[in-house]
Amino acid sequence: MTSRLPPRGNVTTSYAHSEKKRDGSTVPATSPSVRARVRGAERSSMAPLRPLSRLPGLNSANVLLVESEEQFQQRLADRLVEETTFTVNVRLAKSLPLPVENEESRPRIDLVVFIINLTSELSLQSAEASVKCLDHRYFLGKVSFMVTNARNVAAPGERLDAVRKLAASLHCALLFAEDQTPDGVTNATERLLTILKVAAGLVPMTTALYLSNLTRGTALRDIDQPSFD
Amino acid sequence: MLTDFTQLEAGTPVNGNDEVERNMVLVEKLAYSKGLSPEAISIMLEFAMSLRMGTSLCARVLKCLIPATLVPQEAVVRAVVWLSVGKIPVSTQILFIKWVLTVFDMIDAKDQLRAVYGFIFNFVTEENLCPFICHLLYLLTRKESVVSCSMLILFPQGRQPFLLSLLSLYKVFCPEMVMLSIPSRIKSGFRNHNMPWKSALIAVQKGAGPHVAAGISPASTTIKTNPRKRVWGFSKEAQTEPSSCGKVVPLVQLHSFAQLLENMHRIELPAQMGSLLGSSLALQYLDCVQDESALLRLNFWLGYALHEEFLFCGDRGASQNSQEALPFLDRLLSTQHFLQEGFSCSEAFLYKFLNVWDGSLLRPQILGLLSNIPVVPSAQIRQLLFEPLMQLFFTSSLFFKCGLMECLNNMLLKWLTWHSVYALEDDLDISLNSHTSINMTLSGFKDSVMELVDFVGRLASLGLQLEGCHSLLLSFVLDFYETVCDMFMKYGLPLVVMPPPGVFYPALFATDPVSVDRLAYIMHRYKVNFTSAKSQEELTKAFHISRQMVREFNHYIIVMVNCLWNSKMFQLDMGLSLGEDLLLKSKVPQYWASFDLVHHPAFMSYAVDFHHRDMDLNSIKVRGHF
Repeated sequence: MTSRLPPRGNVTTSYAHSEKKRDGSTVPATSPSVRARVRGAERSSMAPLRPLSRLPGLNSANVLLVESEEQFQQRLADRLVEETTFTVNVRLAKSLPLPVENEESRPRIDLVVFIINLTSELSLQSAEASVKCLDHRYFLGKVSFMVTNARNVAAPGERLDAVRKLAASLHCALLFAEDQTPDGVTNATERLLTILKVAAGLVPMTTALYLSNLTRGTALRDIDQPSFD
Repeated sequence: MLTDFTQLEAGTPVNGNDEVERNMVLVEKLAYSKGLSPEAISIMLEFAMSLRMGTSLCARVLKCLIPATLVPQEAVVRAVVWLSVGKIPVSTQILFIKWVLTVFDMIDAKDQLRAVYGFIFNFVTEENLCPFICHLLYLLTRKESVVSCSMLILFPQGRQPFLLSLLSLYKVFCPEMVMLSIPSRIKSGFRNHNMPWKSALIAVQKGAGPHVAAGISPASTTIKTNPRKRVWGFSKEAQTEPSSCGKVVPLVQLHSFAQLLENMHRIELPAQMGSLLGSSLALQYLDCVQDESALLRLNFWLGYALHEEFLFCGDRGASQNSQEALPFLDRLLSTQHFLQEGFSCSEAFLYKFLNVWDGSLLRPQILGLLSNIPVVPSAQIRQLLFEPLMQLFFTSSLFFKCGLMECLNNMLLKWLTWHSVYALEDDLDISLNSHTSINMTLSGFKDSVMELVDFVGRLASLGLQLEGCHSLLLSFVLDFYETVCDMFMKYGLPLVVMPPPGVFYPALFATDPVSVDRLAYIMHRYKVNFTSAKSQEELTKAFHISRQMVREFNHYIIVMVNCLWNSKMFQLDMGLSLGEDLLLKSKVPQYWASFDLVHHPAFMSYAVDFHHRDMDLNSIKVRGHF
């Protein structure tokens, strides 16, 4: 019916160096759409990412996807940039803090999404460490957590509880995603876009803080025994 | 090749024995491709469990015992006897019991196994085997078996879930023999044991053809009217069936309602309770008889199947998941629709599933199951239901919002229908089709309904705001309020709840005429309900209408009439007060008439249509801002 318009947004990957790496080594790009490369070996500064350091773009939104395993974020990014009603720019990162060299070219990030794979403990730990590198003003509705493999038998219940507690204590939305099927990826994209539009100020009469109050969860969840006595 | 196995003597060395190795490889290949025939199973099982060639081959044989069609029960009974000889290592014993549990439905008859029930029961005392033996006993137990067993052995073992499940089944059969109290819901009774063989079983059965029942998806009994000779000769046939012993008739053999009525008092339920889900005959029987043990077993099996398929699934490909999952859920939905109520295990499953749901996986089925859950007490409804739904609602697309609205509307409808059927004055006896019965008073029920209506009102107001008063969402919201406005007249519930302003005003100022019309209809129904409730209040003095609600209703009616009829919009005390200077700044001429019947944007199409009939378009004097 309608022809597919070419994506207006673009995907950028920035690699954060861990503090241990001292010598310079260029990190090869994983896909042709990557435009920014990280060079040099300076120690990344600990300056946190700030939400209001730049002016917003017209009819556009910028989202940062942080995932230590770097698998789901690429597929999500490809779907996100296909949005046509407004321009979506996606930046990918393995962890925070982001390298200092890119700070000049980096636009204002409207939404930071931490993708956590419940079957890997490393994923959760990396997300917990990265969360500390965000400016506190992001936690007024501009951060959300996306969890994959929640229904997998290999994911222990305590890890999910820990993620829930983390999201509840930071007043962030917690989304679950099915990353194995294309339908699941499409749905995850739609949900992210719903939050992104609000965070970028594109929905009238709604702010990110307002939405975060509606989507905030509580930590305690003892569902195993709903006792009706 | 198989005869070689029977002829092997005890003590033949395994290591370096090429012939045995070759035969083993052949057997394994056959097993994984087509499955083993009943005779082959018999021979291999005997060979393994008798430990003729030592313990190492035993485990290997057990792992490749994939049956093609059936498993002869004599082989299983003999193997159980070998179990007690005492030379098999514990891990292999456990493997054997797990195998029996996996192929349980394929064992051709169970009467010999039941004959050795007491013998199997003795294994309960062994700590390592206990969980699996309990599961096996659970599947085999009949009323007769319970009487013959000693309960005292089970007491000191503690309150593990598998023991409690078995005890609860015993309690259902013989309540006087079980003294301790069993909690009404037992956490995850029996765990899944069929992992090593499951994928191979499914592969073999797929190859064999669709008529063979798969391990986890229940066999559906077909309902056909049989030729006449079957009906006449039926009772004779039943008596010649060896497993029925002339007393009971297995449910799977009944094919028409007439037969069901004939044999009502001596029906035997199948071991695989899930097979009942597809057959309406079986469901009618269950519903009438209200057999607690059957319901318990059905609930247990269903909960276990739901958990395994959707909550604790492995890394299987998602397409395989949905191929099996979708028909299973559809069948469960149609069962619930047939019985007009939900199962308690599906309710428990849903609460857990909602917490890890992404909102789109199997959405129609999950929303369908959700609308079937029974009345939730108001103390728990927020945590169990509302919180996860809110998180999903505000982060999902418009279509999810609409779907959830419809689901909650159906839920309310079912609660109200249930109330109007079961209400006995003040005290409602809510007995769900499980062995628990929840007693809820009328006020408790009213509280739950209030909570639900308030929740939906909140979702609706905020959702409409977020979606810019989208007309599709508005239509679903008005559907809900059409149900709410008639709660008193249609369902006899003495409760009237007005829609919040976030729903009323978007509907009043909507740009499509259908919404305005439906809002008018809803307000009319509210008036009818209020007047009837008021007259009843004067008569009986038992029902008290909230004065706050009446005030809100009056306020809405005044706003609506002033706006649409009297051309008196934006006046003071009308709910929407805009300063006069602001209104003058907008340069809208005669702003007080901008939403009356003549000028309302929703009715523009009717105005144009009217002019088309009598005059041509040029003679329309367009007033104001159109």
